Amino acid sequence: MKNTLKIISCYSADTAGVCSILYEMGGMVVVHDASGCNSTYSTHDEPRWSKYPSNIFISALTERDAIMGRDETLTDNTVKAAKELEPRFICLCGSPMPALIGTDFYALASEIEKKTSIPTFSVATTGTYSYIQGAGLALKEFIIKTSVYKKREENTVNILGYTPLDLYINGQKERIVKLFEDKGIKVNFSSEYSENILNASHNLVVSQSGMEAAKYMWENYDIPYMCALPIGEKLSKFVLDIPNIKEPVFLERNTAKTSFYILGESLFSQSLAKALSLEEGIDAGVVYTLEKEDRAVAPCDYTTSTEEDTENFLKEKAENIIADPIYKHISPVNAKFMSLPHFAFSGRCFEHNIPNLMCDDHALKEVIK
Amino acid sequence: MIKIALYGKGGIGKSTCTSNLAAAFASLGKKVIQIGCDPKADSTINLLSGTPALPVMNYLAEHDDEPSSIEEISKIGYKGILCIETGGPTPGLGCAGRGIISTFTLLEELNVFKKFAPDVVLYDVLGDVVCGGFAAPIREGYAEDVIIVTSGEKMALYAANNIYNAVKNFEDRSYAKVRGLILNRRNVEEEEKKVKAFAQEKGLEILADIPRSKEITLCEDKGMTVIEGAFESESARCFYELAQRLIREKENE
Repeated sequence: MKNTLKIISCYSADTAGVCSILYEMGGMVVVHDASGCNSTYSTHDEPRWSKYPSNIFISALTERDAIMGRDETLTDNTVKAAKELEPRFICLCGSPMPALIGTDFYALASEIEKKTSIPTFSVATTGTYSYIQGAGLALKEFIIKTSVYKKREENTVNILGYTPLDLYINGQKERIVKLFEDKGIKVNFSSEYSENILNASHNLVVSQSGMEAAKYMWENYDIPYMCALPIGEKLSKFVLDIPNIKEPVFLERNTAKTSFYILGESLFSQSLAKALSLEEGIDAGVVYTLEKEDRAVAPCDYTTSTEEDTENFLKEKAENIIADPIYKHISPVNAKFMSLPHFAFSGRCFEHNIPNLMCDDHALKEVIK
Repeated sequence: MIKIALYGKGGIGKSTCTSNLAAAFASLGKKVIQIGCDPKADSTINLLSGTPALPVMNYLAEHDDEPSSIEEISKIGYKGILCIETGGPTPGLGCAGRGIISTFTLLEELNVFKKFAPDVVLYDVLGDVVCGGFAAPIREGYAEDVIIVTSGEKMALYAANNIYNAVKNFEDRSYAKVRGLILNRRNVEEEEKKVKAFAQEKGLEILADIPRSKEITLCEDKGMTVIEGAFESESARCFYELAQRLIREKENE
């Protein structure tokens, strides 16, 4: 029972992460799952569903197909749909039932690719890990499968790891793009994303979901990356230095002791902590409830994996807390709680209260008011 | 790296053959991993002086967190063989196939193959390929060859045929291929003739012919393989020859 969440919500699952990160890439995502679950991945966890089209399908796995191991239902239907839709790529991913019956997604993706000649890859999600893991693996596989290096384009930045699960569709992405374009830095974030991704000179990692891809491109194509979000004016200036970096850059934070803690997506929270320090002189720590990059952890930060652990830590250490409103239920009553909704955690409940902190000091001040 | 999965009817002697083959490889100086893929978790017991290894599924059931090192879910056996048992649920409950998949995922996460750098990996897999989990050892990246253990008994050959067909079903998927048979004799009538006929029909070779011998039983009673406990016996010679052959053929590839 240690890992059971009794009061707070759980984060979106790995399958939702795959659908989210690939949503605007022009491909076709097929989730091997029972019929009806499509709404979880492509509407409840996907605020773009009513605004932009995307080919996300559910295989409508039946009990009989599962028992009999009829993988051909999935492969035949996928091939049929792909021939009609001609997507740029096909991604297969899983859910708890295929995980239990041991569906070999890697082999099925090869079969589909042979039959359609469309680049096909798989992410064997089980529905039991966080969206970060699904999105991270999907982005990396997407790049490996669909991108070709032609020539290095200097002064060009890829945005890696963008999904509305972390950066809501309230202009955050647009502000990041504008920040660079205003300074004459080209941003690769369009329909030609996969064509150009390996040619870019630098990568800006905007969530932990982009970390796997960033490491892959650094190790294989020497593209240096920076892990930071332009929250507030000073951090925006820091991010604008990206064309000059020669190796991976993480935000440095050295705070050893604090009673001010942030809970949320790891890279977002680290950036917010850094921005608070630069703009407001507040030394904040991060409580990690999701995957994180160890190189960006400050001495005062804390990693937790259970609800009880998080609750106890906050009770013992936190006097000021910035987190999704649901965390208020496990926060100490005498602490100052500053609400910052996180779509991957509370979904649509508080979506209209999610602020856009990118390149905006005023919005940052509003959070801590 | 030699990567072989041994399949066959329940009780036909897969674990006996696998652990003797592992011991033969190890005696020939090879670094070996044996992975038992059976909820009974007794595949490697004769490489461990009769003391079983803690099955991976037992570890996962008892701990909230996954193990952080290979040592927590393995034991070193005869001549340095790394012994791993997937284990599985209580008979009649849960899902043993999923147990195999979870174990393999964990072994990947722990980088076992990179860290231990074996020359030989042997998978000892329960009975027929009854579900996706039991096909996991022959997926791309795991075993490259399947050896089916059979006797001349009707049900053993029936199971061997099922396994052969199951593996053949996967030929589009870059899975392991059936390399041949081990005839583990039960001394039934016309045993050699029956197994030879099956092998011929399927275009397979009988890679080893293990005589029915009391040395195997006596050694197993002491928690040993014949390679360890009766290395001059006819059975031990057969396993040595098979190991030497597999090494030679790998080198010639």
